[in-house]
Amino acid sequence: MLRRVVAIVVVVACAAGVVAFQVSRPARAPANPRVFVPSPRFFLDFSPSFRTSIADVYYLYMVQYYGEHVTGDGKLDSLPAMVRLVTELSPHFTRAYLFGAFALMDAQQPGVSYEILKHGFEANPGNWRFPAYLGFFVYAFASNKDKDRIAADWYTKAAAIPESPAYLQRLAAVLLGKGGETGKAIQMWGQVYAAGDKFSREKAVAGLERILPTSKQARMKAVAPLYDTMPRQEFEALTAELFKGYAP
Amino acid sequence: MKQLLAITINTFKETIRDRVLAVIVVFALLMIAGGLWLGSISLGEQGRMIKDFGLVAVSGFGLIVAVFVAASLVHKEVEKRTVFVLFSKPVSRAAFIAGKFIGLCGTMAVVLAGMGLFLFALVWIVAGEASGMVLLAVLMIYVQLLAVVAVTIFFSTMGSAILAAVLGICVFVAGQLSHNVLALTRLGKNPLTEALSWVVYVIVPNFSAVDVKAGAVGEQTLAWGQIGLWTAYILAYVVVVLALAALVFRRKEF
Repeated sequence: MLRRVVAIVVVVACAAGVVAFQVSRPARAPANPRVFVPSPRFFLDFSPSFRTSIADVYYLYMVQYYGEHVTGDGKLDSLPAMVRLVTELSPHFTRAYLFGAFALMDAQQPGVSYEILKHGFEANPGNWRFPAYLGFFVYAFASNKDKDRIAADWYTKAAAIPESPAYLQRLAAVLLGKGGETGKAIQMWGQVYAAGDKFSREKAVAGLERILPTSKQARMKAVAPLYDTMPRQEFEALTAELFKGYAP
Repeated sequence: MKQLLAITINTFKETIRDRVLAVIVVFALLMIAGGLWLGSISLGEQGRMIKDFGLVAVSGFGLIVAVFVAASLVHKEVEKRTVFVLFSKPVSRAAFIAGKFIGLCGTMAVVLAGMGLFLFALVWIVAGEASGMVLLAVLMIYVQLLAVVAVTIFFSTMGSAILAAVLGICVFVAGQLSHNVLALTRLGKNPLTEALSWVVYVIVPNFSAVDVKAGAVGEQTLAWGQIGLWTAYILAYVVVVLALAALVFRRKEF
């Protein structure tokens, strides 16, 4: 009987020791930015069959790392290397590029963000999101004089990709107009009008009204190139709206 | 032919009833379901996470089943002395090896089909995507595991079951790396090591070349001709290895 009691006491004491040990551990490791991120080449050479799974593991780690540091110490030193690792292991992982690009903006590294999106567009030329975000990044964060023109170029590229949303063409046209490239802007608005629905057509007419000269002769000269690029019926409908208030 | 069929059916029944197998399958299904949890912390990439980690689980647990069951197939017969009864009848050693292999392939087909269909359903339910690529990836994992089964049976005719299992796993790992090791050796420009690694490259099955897991998450485009070629390569490899296993087994005295 005594033996049994002693055995139970020993087991309970051991169990208590195990629980106490675990409970006394820190809840989680202190925020410690990972200074070493493995090279993508290493995984590509030594684990080609599992490269996308490894990319997923690092993507989850990247999300966690970002969440841990962005509201804490703000140190996101390892983020560029992580984004590069994930995207090189899985070049078609769209969300990894986009998340990485936005996270890097928080890390005050807009240049790296831009490069990552460019790299993403090179790997996924059929995905309109990359040039659209590149255009947005340039427009929102760049400070150079010709940023409107560069953003418009990206939007134009995005709009040219099949299945891209119609608003990209409108954005490109607006920015081309703002950037002083009136000729290109007129062409873009012409495309918006020709391909668009009622809403797009209204936007196109309003956009053209903003950039076209007011004198009838100059206006006719400015819209004349659209005759070669637009379907006849749409061209006539557009010119009818643009010259509504003018004498015949 | 009759003997081969009898051994095949017997091996299939024996391995499918194995409780260890059931435990591993349940564990594999739990691992796949674990992908759901990973998906929930992935910022909208549930489908991708479940597919990727699910396929790794199918591959990993399929490997465990293939290696440990294949390693014990021949040894069980020897230990239980049923092999003496068997060979007292007009059964050739080659038919014995082939029957064991085909029987286990049947079991592996059931196990992998179960895991594959479960994964397919999971992806469909969670991500709303009926991904045929997942099923194709599972099929190619099955084809890879056929080579692992053949190699493990080959090793089990020469040594202990544990050694055969360990070597089977080593061949699986080496098969993932052989292509790149050859490329790396070529960088060294040493003709001897290059020749040696070339021999290893030819002997070890090239699993990295017949893998379509990346295709399931849109990282790879595939052609049916390519898949047919890969399958033919692995089947040819299996035939060679089983022939060698039968040759080694024929020299054994019972």
